[in-house]
Amino acid sequence: MQLLNTILIGITAGSIYSLMAIAFVLVWRSTRVINFAQAGMALLSTYFGYEAVTRIGSFWLALPIAMLGGAIIAALVEVTLMRSLVKHASTGPIAAVAPIIATLGLLGLLRAVIAMVWGGQNLVIFPPVSNAGFTVNGEVLVFSPLKLLILSTTLVLMALLSLLFQRTNLGLSLRASAYAPEISHLSGIRVDLIRTLGWALAGAAGAVAGIFQTVNGNGNFSPDSIEFALLLVSGFIAAVIGGLDSLLGAVIGGMFLGVVIAFVLIYINSGLFFIAPFIILLATLFIRPQGIIGVRAGRRA
Amino acid sequence: MLGFLLFLLGNRVDELRVYQGASIAVFVIAISSLILLTGYSGQVSLGHGALMAIGAYSAAIARNEFKIPVVLTFFIAVLFTAIAGALLGAAAARLSGPYLAGTTLALAIGLPSLANQFEPLGGEQGIPFDVGLPPARLGESFTQYKWFFWIAALAALICMWLLSNILSSRYGRNWRAGRSNEVAAQICGINMSRSKILAFTLSAGIAGLAGALLSMTIGTVSPSAFTLALSFSILTGAVLSGITTLVGTMIGAVILVILPEIADVVAHQIGSSERVTSNLPGFLLGALLIVTVLFVPNGPVEQHHARAAKRAAKKKS
Repeated sequence: MQLLNTILIGITAGSIYSLMAIAFVLVWRSTRVINFAQAGMALLSTYFGYEAVTRIGSFWLALPIAMLGGAIIAALVEVTLMRSLVKHASTGPIAAVAPIIATLGLLGLLRAVIAMVWGGQNLVIFPPVSNAGFTVNGEVLVFSPLKLLILSTTLVLMALLSLLFQRTNLGLSLRASAYAPEISHLSGIRVDLIRTLGWALAGAAGAVAGIFQTVNGNGNFSPDSIEFALLLVSGFIAAVIGGLDSLLGAVIGGMFLGVVIAFVLIYINSGLFFIAPFIILLATLFIRPQGIIGVRAGRRA
Repeated sequence: MLGFLLFLLGNRVDELRVYQGASIAVFVIAISSLILLTGYSGQVSLGHGALMAIGAYSAAIARNEFKIPVVLTFFIAVLFTAIAGALLGAAAARLSGPYLAGTTLALAIGLPSLANQFEPLGGEQGIPFDVGLPPARLGESFTQYKWFFWIAALAALICMWLLSNILSSRYGRNWRAGRSNEVAAQICGINMSRSKILAFTLSAGIAGLAGALLSMTIGTVSPSAFTLALSFSILTGAVLSGITTLVGTMIGAVILVILPEIADVVAHQIGSSERVTSNLPGFLLGALLIVTVLFVPNGPVEQHHARAAKRAAKKKS
């Protein structure tokens, strides 16, 4: 029983990590940048969701609104920040670290702005469906309608995004712009618009991750919530485990991370919560640096 | 020479400034360690806060459990953190750019929490680290904080001197070569992994020293002093100073320490609410970081040099 519960807890947490990982992968695939501010944008989107929930009263409406908010914010960031970055800082020794530093700066900025506008106190978003476990054979599972919602949303999102990428022309443009921007340009693809779109999608995914992370916990959140720092790190690690280039990998990586962490917490020692992601990351990078589904980049002379 | 100047300064200003001076010295050391690793060797680390923690804890434990004299505890801090850095460097040598950043990020979050796991590390409240009172012969007016400032400033001076020597040596050149183009550097006969691991080891050792000094100024070693925010601050300071050169290190350190005060003053001028004032430093820091990366990517010192060089070239033509 405990085994089953552990797996279920792991998969739920893992789904949220997957959503965050999807956001990272989307940004990576469209602009070859790791966006550390993803967590900040997810946080902001969560606040949007909060506003929506308190004013409209419906979680089901608030979620798409938060996603839209996240998408818009992300698009704005891409248009302003990232383009300037490419213009100003793409040469010289700082080139490799410039996007990282810029997104980190943005993270701090977002956090401060959120705290300035909404204040530092805990706010609450209530889950839309109950978190009480299903009863199977007279025993209460840790699985609940809420967790089912999270899991299914993740899978649906992944399916939709994969469809978008693999089966539509837009998806083809997205993939082409990431791998060969100049040639895509020559083929008539508006590369800069595509990049913005990639970011917008990532913003939406991050929004969902942020909101679910909040309601899956105790519903409390504030600018300093440790949950969001964890979301950032876990989402990134999940993306790396899955292979930064693959959406499917992001989901698998997230689930894998979630389940392994759950096992470590419940069977070994619950205090290892913070160090476990690091160890798992190191192990993955040693055993299979390109990730589970990653393709090893060929050595170019 | 500079040391004498600082000593004079330390005698004339009040307690708060002296404490800030000590903090600046600590940050100078920490920032210089990151400049070595990221600016010279090209390896991004978001986890230097964790390395500082290792230094602090080793120094404190050496002092408390083994009663080792204070001066030696700092060396122990450097040694232990350097060993940790070597291990981390060996793991990190295969990683590049964002992968390395993410790994160090995970370390920064995970490591301090280990203090809650093991008994001698003292848990949340931490363990004390007491360097003792200043020697009696320095007189009555020589306060504890002045003593901290003295020690920290001295350490910073020695550290900077050593570091600038190392950076202009063969090792420094190896690192810069590796950063520009790994393949070319390898063709020239530089062993990349050894060079990278060396950079990590050295950088970690220096960071450990900074951590021990930081704990000295606070008086205790606890996880709350070594948050993710600390790692980010050091990186910010390094970028603000000019991540490729050691010369501007003071600039970044001073900005980091003075910014909360400046933000306070600004906020009071425009008469805003508590909410805005308490978050203004974070906002300003983030904004400053972004602006710096966009417009002054190699730091103010380099920018100045580049402009001067351009002007000189124009004059000639």
